[in-house]
Amino acid sequence: MAQIVLKDVVKKFGAHVAVKGVNLQVRDSEFLIMVGPSGCGKTTTLNMISGLERPTSGEIAIGGRVVNDLEPGERGLGMVFQDLALFPHLTVYENIAFGLRVKKVAEREVDSRVRAAAEAMHISPLLAKRPAQCSGGESQRVALARTIVTNPAVFLMDEPLSSLDAKLRVDMRTELKRLHARLKATFVYVTHDQAEAMTMADRIVVMSGGVVEQVGEPLEIYRKPASQFVAGFFGTPTMNFLSGKIESANGGLVFQASNLRQRLAASLPSGLAGRNVVLGVRSEHVTVGANGGTPGKVQLIEPLGAESLVFFEFGGATPLVAKIDPERSLDTGDNLTFDFDPAGCHLFDADTGARLN
Amino acid sequence: MTTPAEMTDQQADSAGARNLRRRRLRIVVRHAILVAWALVILFPIFWMIATSFKESGEWVAWPPHWIPQQPTFKNYSQIFTFDTMQKGVAREATEQPFNVWGPLGDSLLICTVSALIALLLGTFLAYSISRFNVGGKHFRHAILMIRMVPPIVIAIPLLMYYAIMIPLAAETVLGTRIVLFDTRVGVSAIYIATTLPFVIWMMLTFIEEVPYTLEHAARMMGAGRLYTLRRVVLPLVGSGMVVTFLFVFILNWAEFLLALTLTHPDVVTLPVLLNKFQSASEGRLFGPQAAIGTIITIPVVVLGMLIQKHLIRGFSFGTIRK
Repeated sequence: MAQIVLKDVVKKFGAHVAVKGVNLQVRDSEFLIMVGPSGCGKTTTLNMISGLERPTSGEIAIGGRVVNDLEPGERGLGMVFQDLALFPHLTVYENIAFGLRVKKVAEREVDSRVRAAAEAMHISPLLAKRPAQCSGGESQRVALARTIVTNPAVFLMDEPLSSLDAKLRVDMRTELKRLHARLKATFVYVTHDQAEAMTMADRIVVMSGGVVEQVGEPLEIYRKPASQFVAGFFGTPTMNFLSGKIESANGGLVFQASNLRQRLAASLPSGLAGRNVVLGVRSEHVTVGANGGTPGKVQLIEPLGAESLVFFEFGGATPLVAKIDPERSLDTGDNLTFDFDPAGCHLFDADTGARLN
Repeated sequence: MTTPAEMTDQQADSAGARNLRRRRLRIVVRHAILVAWALVILFPIFWMIATSFKESGEWVAWPPHWIPQQPTFKNYSQIFTFDTMQKGVAREATEQPFNVWGPLGDSLLICTVSALIALLLGTFLAYSISRFNVGGKHFRHAILMIRMVPPIVIAIPLLMYYAIMIPLAAETVLGTRIVLFDTRVGVSAIYIATTLPFVIWMMLTFIEEVPYTLEHAARMMGAGRLYTLRRVVLPLVGSGMVVTFLFVFILNWAEFLLALTLTHPDVVTLPVLLNKFQSASEGRLFGPQAAIGTIITIPVVVLGMLIQKHLIRGFSFGTIRK
């Protein structure tokens, strides 16, 4: 059992509060990804789970046992670091064997376990090499082999893929997911890359400014972001945001901003009328060429292959972006009309950024 | 007839040639200055080595003998003799028989032991300053102040402590005499104290290049602080420790003032020995003195060449990072 529970965990560095009271429950065998911009407290939270940092207040329990006062090595965790932290003076074999030797495992068992771990990560031919002689992807596998060899119940990973090139990073994502399925261990993974979080996680924890903004499954977070911050953090291109006001009209609600008037879903509570809000809509929910839509003018087209992005201005503060069929014959300077899918409109409080619908 | 295009080509050529000439001239001037300076620096060393192979008549001959006219190993055989009473240093005219074995042993012992102890203490201190901020933010700079005190300032007060106050205090309080004056322990102790700042600063530069995450990784795998130090940190700064040891060894090897003040007559280090080649009848015994000078210089030059690159870094007090 390797459930991790964080209760009101706070971490201060002098006057700076890095983590402001995090409550979190990591389920057994779950692949949980903490994601957020630099300085949001995700790595500090991970380090408190690992024991490398002590929480200023609050409680951390792993497998039902409070570990606040336990040394990192006594918590039964394995960790992969951002810079991998392979020992440069030791061979790959000795790197993998390090943890077992610390625990004074018999030399014969060390040998068989190191070879098994190397086999599992497909790095058997590298055992005699030094880390400096391994490529980026190989080093990554060595770091993973070094972690799995001690059979930890929990794997902690601090942006382990950030040093890899784009192609390798995508391959390693698949590999990590496969590893998780095979080991059935609890994975806690930190990244600032929302795509990494979306593709690998069972659940995502979005952090910002030392607090948890939202916890949920990837699609839930994508479809129903709890705040404007989360909405803007996930998805490429970034969600369109428009500041405006909600008004009631013909028994329903409409969103009004400069020359744009957008009908909203009928299910919205009528109490929202009169509020200042930020309306968010993803590019795939912007319909271009709608009858009776708002007019706009194309600024830029970005073809992506399967679809194209069209950036256009309509008289608002910022231009909007829409996803369109690449076969559509639109060009820079063309006029268009657009409309939002009411079901794809997210409403956020103009002051707090909290979700309203 | 030349076309305009050709003319510009020619102009470009002559401009290029001018540039080339100017660059060559600069190289020649620079090398001339460097060679002249090297001659100024190296001449005394050449003279010392030449003198060490000269007979006594040639030491102060005028006009000077640039090269020994009757090269001899006599000076070396005299200082390396085991038969101090008979062959002594300066043949029949010398009242003071000198040989190099005692001082060589003292120097080797004192320099090696004090460099090793300073290295051990300094490495652990540097580690704790680097990792735990021991002594606060400015501690590493405060340490340097030890080096800012000119040795002559502390020499006489130290002599008072070594010769009088510590033995007296020990006798009064402990009932036993602690002798530091004219002992190897005494000289080593002051060498350790004066070289510790160097060790700390040099080791700080090496230790701070070891990423924290390596230690974190070891800790995550259950390794204790000492295990991590032994298996991860020290092996990674091992070459730095060797360099630091050699550097400190050289400092101690060439130290003169403190050794001169704090010893006499039992403990003699090589630089102090150099100063003793004086005879009543012959004046300075330049030949054996030059021979010893040559012997002292050899390890300094060899070690210096070995650690040349790192010496520069050591002298820059760690301000240069990768």
